[in-house]
Amino acid sequence: MTRYAFSVNAELCIGCSSCGMACKNQNILDPGMVWRKLYPLSEEIYPHKDRAFYSLACNHCSQPACLEGCPVGAYTQREDGIVVHNEDVCIGCRNCLRNCPFGAPRYNEEEGHVEKCSMCWQRIDEGLLPACVQACPTNALTLVDLDVDDVSSTVQYPPGFPYRPDVEPSTRFVLPVAPKIIRRDV
Amino acid sequence: MQEKNSLGNTNIQQTLGSKVSRRDFLKMMAAVGAIAALPGNGLLRKGPGATVIPSTGYEGKDAYQVFHNACPRNCYDTCGILSYVKDGVLKFVEGDPASTFTRGGLCVKGYSYPRSVYSPDRIKYPMKQEGRGSGNWVRISWDEALDTIAKKILELKEQDGSLLGLGMTKYSGNFGITHYGVEGMMSSLGYTTRFVGTPCWPAGIDAQNFDMGNMWCNDPEDMVKSKYIIIWGANPCTNSIHSMKYINEAKRHGAKVVVIDPIFTQTAAKADEYWQIKPGGDGALALGMARHLLDKRLEDKAWLEENAEGYSEFASYLRREITLDWAAEQSGIPVESIKQITEEFAAVKPATIWLGYGLQRHVNGGANVRAIDAFVAMTGNIGKVGGGARYGHLFTWGFNYNALVQSAPEGSVGYTGKTGPMGEFDTGQSGDAASYTDRAFNINKIAQEIMDATEPPVRMLWVANKNVLSQDFDRNKIIEAFKKLDLIVAVDLFFNPTVEQADIVLPTTTLFEDWTVNVSYWHYWMSINEQAIAPMYETKSDIEIASALSAKINSLKAGSCTFPENIDSKEMMVKEFNDGIYSLFGINSWEDLKDGARKAKLASSASWSDNKFGTPSTKYEFKSSIAEEYGHTALVKYKEPREAYASYRLLTPHSKYGLHSQFQNLDWMLDYNPEPLAYIHPKLAREKGLVDGDTVRVYNKTGEVQLKVSVNDIVPADTILMYEGWYGQNNPFNVNILVDDESSDMGKYKTGAPGVAIHDQFAEIEKA
Repeated sequence: MTRYAFSVNAELCIGCSSCGMACKNQNILDPGMVWRKLYPLSEEIYPHKDRAFYSLACNHCSQPACLEGCPVGAYTQREDGIVVHNEDVCIGCRNCLRNCPFGAPRYNEEEGHVEKCSMCWQRIDEGLLPACVQACPTNALTLVDLDVDDVSSTVQYPPGFPYRPDVEPSTRFVLPVAPKIIRRDV
Repeated sequence: MQEKNSLGNTNIQQTLGSKVSRRDFLKMMAAVGAIAALPGNGLLRKGPGATVIPSTGYEGKDAYQVFHNACPRNCYDTCGILSYVKDGVLKFVEGDPASTFTRGGLCVKGYSYPRSVYSPDRIKYPMKQEGRGSGNWVRISWDEALDTIAKKILELKEQDGSLLGLGMTKYSGNFGITHYGVEGMMSSLGYTTRFVGTPCWPAGIDAQNFDMGNMWCNDPEDMVKSKYIIIWGANPCTNSIHSMKYINEAKRHGAKVVVIDPIFTQTAAKADEYWQIKPGGDGALALGMARHLLDKRLEDKAWLEENAEGYSEFASYLRREITLDWAAEQSGIPVESIKQITEEFAAVKPATIWLGYGLQRHVNGGANVRAIDAFVAMTGNIGKVGGGARYGHLFTWGFNYNALVQSAPEGSVGYTGKTGPMGEFDTGQSGDAASYTDRAFNINKIAQEIMDATEPPVRMLWVANKNVLSQDFDRNKIIEAFKKLDLIVAVDLFFNPTVEQADIVLPTTTLFEDWTVNVSYWHYWMSINEQAIAPMYETKSDIEIASALSAKINSLKAGSCTFPENIDSKEMMVKEFNDGIYSLFGINSWEDLKDGARKAKLASSASWSDNKFGTPSTKYEFKSSIAEEYGHTALVKYKEPREAYASYRLLTPHSKYGLHSQFQNLDWMLDYNPEPLAYIHPKLAREKGLVDGDTVRVYNKTGEVQLKVSVNDIVPADTILMYEGWYGQNNPFNVNILVDDESSDMGKYKTGAPGVAIHDQFAEIEKA
């Protein structure tokens, strides 16, 4: 079996935002629409502002709350775990926005429908990596198969990420590391 | 280039010229059959399996025609691009997987390219502005625009007896080799006034030329072999993201990575150790480290004996005038740390230092680079794979500069004084051997030069590949100086602050609408840039504009311009290649580049691997007679930093969301970087009673800006940080309102003018 998931290594992530823009580029997103972005970690988690990040999009949960609450069946989940949203079926009720603990679905005001990360399933079906993963210059963002790959060195619920075992988010994380710092005395 | 497709560009133009949503765009594509076939929807487990899911993303490899392009911005990485085109529309871009440097990736800027091509904000037609800065733009024809321009040029020539009243400033908006046709256009009109030099890296270029006889860095890919890496004033996590994997790989193999920078940059956050140096104190620190090598007898005596000139004199200078206590005082780095890292660096080979461009943007910047070079040389790491004092190179830039090299029309009169090189890419080629030359003004002092110019004054300015009002220094003075100009012509993609001050704007092509070829000043790859889509609207490339102007001015007065009146962009690109380039890259023809980027065949990944230096002595010169000739100390020596002229240091480095003022204006980019911020330390914030989001006035002797603050310990408490290049959103913020045009120490030797002390600036800050 295959169970695709994103792996987010905050130690390797250099905060370059290539992943987010690669997504807009591949999916031709409307201005204002963001499917993936960097979330800077608060100083309680990493001691310096704007210097460590989780790159987050849809977590393609095993028990997707978006899908469960959708009245029109706009969401489907593939056997490989990818949660796909169909904009043509979506009526824009925004139940999914209320149900998703991670803020992944976004409402497109102009279009009157929701949209979200597709894990670039069209690319995956051709044996390619999702656009965001391909864009990552340090392999901080990778595609893993939870049924095959060894993810024992990762965590599912890092600090700052909602603890929601009820929906089983598939994303896995590695935490950032801070360097030794020698500061000037000013 | 493909023929215009059945869709016809006009449709796209009409649709995209107005605000268009993705859905509208896709509907339009669907209407012409562009997305008739949807790919399979995978294996459904839950939900209504019968639904066919419309694809707004990837449409399958067979759906696209793929072209090779190259990002031409002023960037270390100069990425090869694959452009996926369907029905004449650029649908998305990727990195060229043929390059091991970029490995199929671009950056946040590169991935925004499709949006820049189809942005509703693009300049679509020639326009004239009734009143600079008024926004009162009127669409005009190319014929009217060129007629106005040509008549002004002829008037200048008639009145002044030369074309020195015509000034041209251009820098790094597009580094494609055919874009040197802008210079070529000027040469083909006669002898003009050129703003020469570079705002970027000239002090370091001269420094490395004094020390080694050229600026020539190792292949960055060989950093994987480094056992110790000091990144000094460079921030690759922001400005060379594809270099980071080599640094990470070296780290995995056990290398230690130290970052020295006034700012706790993203790169610093990824290092093993970060040193917060006092800006401008780099030379003192490097000399202190050099002194410690001597004290501990850690210098590579054998290498120095064989390959260095003036070393014993340098060693005496260190013993006589440099102490570790003094170095610690000047740099802000404790003696114990200086000792520790010096010993660690000397203990392993290869060890390398990457010198960034920020550290030489100081009044003592060139001297600081020489001091760091000297430290690397003392440890015997110059010429070593995985070693080196890495700064940049022009090793792969040996094109014909066919578009650049043009002859002045017969009888042209020009400048008769002494001039130097016309910038760092000046190959010394010129169209003829006449006794006249162009008049060279310092690119970094454009305001002062225009104000001071006489006999004749500059009355017309041509701006291409450059956003003067965002990127040049003392912005308020530039506005004043521009009042002396009768006509300002800007060639650009967007209505940026320079276009706002122009009289005529000419719309130019994006890289996807033109042919050229690109190389990097950091890595050793070359990428072709194919025309992937037909030019949008009425846009023309720089050389097409040159050609059209030539035809126009010659029709008004025969013999006024030698630039070819009919050109083919692809042929012009082909003419840039020569056997030297083919042999260096191991290709038979430029067409080989259609298979992907190619890398220069290097005898070694290390520069200077044979220890034969380009200096007069052919050795590494701790003492340089050429340096002395250009007014510097012959010996590598400490040079005092600039004295503060206000309470706080102002640093204005590059943002990851823009390449200077390009990209950051796009609505896609604003989604990630919505507004400019001033970063200040919590201690300074407390003193000034400021919290996150407060609006502040930041001001000094040259001007004032207002913006919001972010309270953040990435900066020291005596420093204000704001990223350069911002414009737009009806926000007049511009960092160069606060940056004066003080020169850096070096740059005159190799680029024709000194650099500018961008990071030796100071300001006050108060709650607005």
